[in-house]
Amino acid sequence: MRADESIGRRKLLKAGGASLATVGLMAAGCGGGSGSGSGGTVTLRHAWWGGEPRAVAIKKCIALFEKKYPKIKIQPEFTDYAAFWEKFQTQAAGGNPPDVFQNAVGFLRKYDKRGVLMDLNSQIKAGNLSLDGFRNGVEANGQVDGKQLGIPVGANTMSLVIDNKIFEKAGIKPEFGWTWDEYFDALQHIKDTQKIAGDTGYFGIMYLYDLYLRQNGKAFFTDTGLGFTEDDLIPWWEDGYKRVKSGVVCDPKKVAQVAPKSALSAGLAASEFTWDNFSVRYAGEGHPNIGLAPIPTVDGKDTGQYLGSLMLSISNKTKYPKEAAQFIDFMVHDPEVGKIMGYDRGILPTDEQYEAYTPSDDQNKAIAAFEEACQKEGVLGKITPHPSGADVAEAAFLRIAGDMSQGKTKVNAAVKQFFNEAKAAFAA
Amino acid sequence: MTLVKDTPVLAPSERSSGPAAAKRRGRRESLAGYLFMSPWLAGFLLLTAGPMVASFYYAFTSYNLFTSPQWVGLDNFTAMFEDPRWRKSVEVTLKYVVIGTPLKLLLALGVALLLAQSRRGQGLYRAAFYMPSLIGASVSVGFVWRALFSDNAIVDSGLKAFGWNLGGWIGDPDLVLYSLVALTVWQFGAPMVIFLAGLKQVPRELYEAAEVDGAGPLRRFWSITLPMISPVLFFNVLLETIHSFQIFGSAYVVSDTSCGPADGTLVYTCYLYQKAFKETQMGFASAMAWMLLLAVALVTAVLFWSQKKWVHYEEGAK
Repeated sequence: MRADESIGRRKLLKAGGASLATVGLMAAGCGGGSGSGSGGTVTLRHAWWGGEPRAVAIKKCIALFEKKYPKIKIQPEFTDYAAFWEKFQTQAAGGNPPDVFQNAVGFLRKYDKRGVLMDLNSQIKAGNLSLDGFRNGVEANGQVDGKQLGIPVGANTMSLVIDNKIFEKAGIKPEFGWTWDEYFDALQHIKDTQKIAGDTGYFGIMYLYDLYLRQNGKAFFTDTGLGFTEDDLIPWWEDGYKRVKSGVVCDPKKVAQVAPKSALSAGLAASEFTWDNFSVRYAGEGHPNIGLAPIPTVDGKDTGQYLGSLMLSISNKTKYPKEAAQFIDFMVHDPEVGKIMGYDRGILPTDEQYEAYTPSDDQNKAIAAFEEACQKEGVLGKITPHPSGADVAEAAFLRIAGDMSQGKTKVNAAVKQFFNEAKAAFAA
Repeated sequence: MTLVKDTPVLAPSERSSGPAAAKRRGRRESLAGYLFMSPWLAGFLLLTAGPMVASFYYAFTSYNLFTSPQWVGLDNFTAMFEDPRWRKSVEVTLKYVVIGTPLKLLLALGVALLLAQSRRGQGLYRAAFYMPSLIGASVSVGFVWRALFSDNAIVDSGLKAFGWNLGGWIGDPDLVLYSLVALTVWQFGAPMVIFLAGLKQVPRELYEAAEVDGAGPLRRFWSITLPMISPVLFFNVLLETIHSFQIFGSAYVVSDTSCGPADGTLVYTCYLYQKAFKETQMGFASAMAWMLLLAVALVTAVLFWSQKKWVHYEEGAK
């Protein structure tokens, strides 16, 4: 009886110990990240956001890289834009960010302030990463306060995406230097003759309002905050509201219903402002006949445009800065990578890649032609800075403009709310 | 027979006896008990209790996940009341709870009353009505809902046939919430099953006696059924109310993750999520979570207090 009992107890202790060990293992498993495997190979995690075509292309590039650098393995992680930053900030806060990740201008100061980004100047000096051969000086897009926080993988600019067929039928031919008045008259004409809204909701797009402000000698952001006043924004939104009411701009109710598909692809409007390289999405969403048109101007000349960039950054926590830098160097300079990626992330950033790739499909040809035209017209200016919190301010701008356009918030109140939320975003 | 008297019989010991040995044995046994519980206990401490204590602390700080939390006292709580979006989220959630919960329970009770009568194929009917409760919370149903309530889709064209030209609900900030209400009402199966169990417990002889006394069906329902199932009704009201306050998934999916349009589906947890993971204001989000807990606790307390007035427990059943 007693013997039985003690065996029982021993078993019991074992069982308890095993379960504790399991918990311990689980905890250990969570901490597993990048590291060196057998034979001195190094594994780096590379994370990005984007659609399926981008994922396929980047994986091909990774295979090329691993062939050239057999001692470095790249582990891909990808998701869509919104999920990317939620995941990234959780990983980064937990001390486990990806080694190399896609980045954008609006996030540099935010994650620099949070101590996440590596200053790549040390790697450039060490010769692991070259800043030579970047076109139009886009490498400057990754520079903040003398630090090189990202290396551009492309260059893009804002454009007016139009439904060619509708514009043709309405007899409208947008040209560089056309004014806002001419643009809105054109939308009115489209609405009257083609029975379709002209635009999908221009007034909520932060990067378009930025261009309008730049045309007026201001900008959306300064280093630390907003570069305009409440009085600037009120007429922009008041006009937007009026145009929604009159049907020149698409009913936001309809736009919300087709999301995440673009309202332009859904055939709800004839044009939409967005980055030129995003125009490939419309073909993917089943809209065959898309063209790129110039941004309207205030003075008949200045569009306020500049070249923006997606880029690659390295986390401060990486154990292999040299290998990570070599990977970025490969991704921005290797001609084969240029051929594979095309203009998915914008016009290719370096001479080597730009020359290696010749667009063959209509959409990529149109992007190349548009940026060439922008160069020729001399409308591309210098990019203005983005403060920490620019991403949150951009999202708030879009959302509050939506509330306003639905008539749920009066324009004055909406503007006040945006300024409050932006202030909180910059402080966070 | 008491438990103490039982103990020596259950675990006899030859050499050691007396209170000291019993104490030692008790300690060993409780140690074994804790070891058995350890997987659950570790989960509770690491994944529930720990985060709760931490979030209570964060509620009084400004915390962006990266820099260490700054103590701000009650600022997060006062900021909440000044925040128009927070007030909007409270309004949206209350609307959802106050409209959705009673409708769902009424439907559940109604269908349960119909299904309580024995008839052929009743198992099939019960399963069919219960089914939405199993699949209703899934993401795919959220997408189906988006399709059902869009322009010229089934709901819109159905209403048009009756002369109601409302347009799609999904894009309308004033109507979109009702599509969520419809979604929760559609999942009436879970409370229905509980009602059914309750209805089966009502003694038949009460109805027979009432019938002999000449009570009609309505009278029987008010005077017998309702009082007899009031404990079950109370249970359902409590459960569904608490559940409704925590709505997240359907609002998130039906609005295409925006909780819009124009904050039309900005339910409380959705705003909490946006504050925490989109704007990384963890302090504010933690404070919001504790406010929700407080509110739900308050509502629960009121319900418990009110049950004295309307819930009848059988004599002797306590």
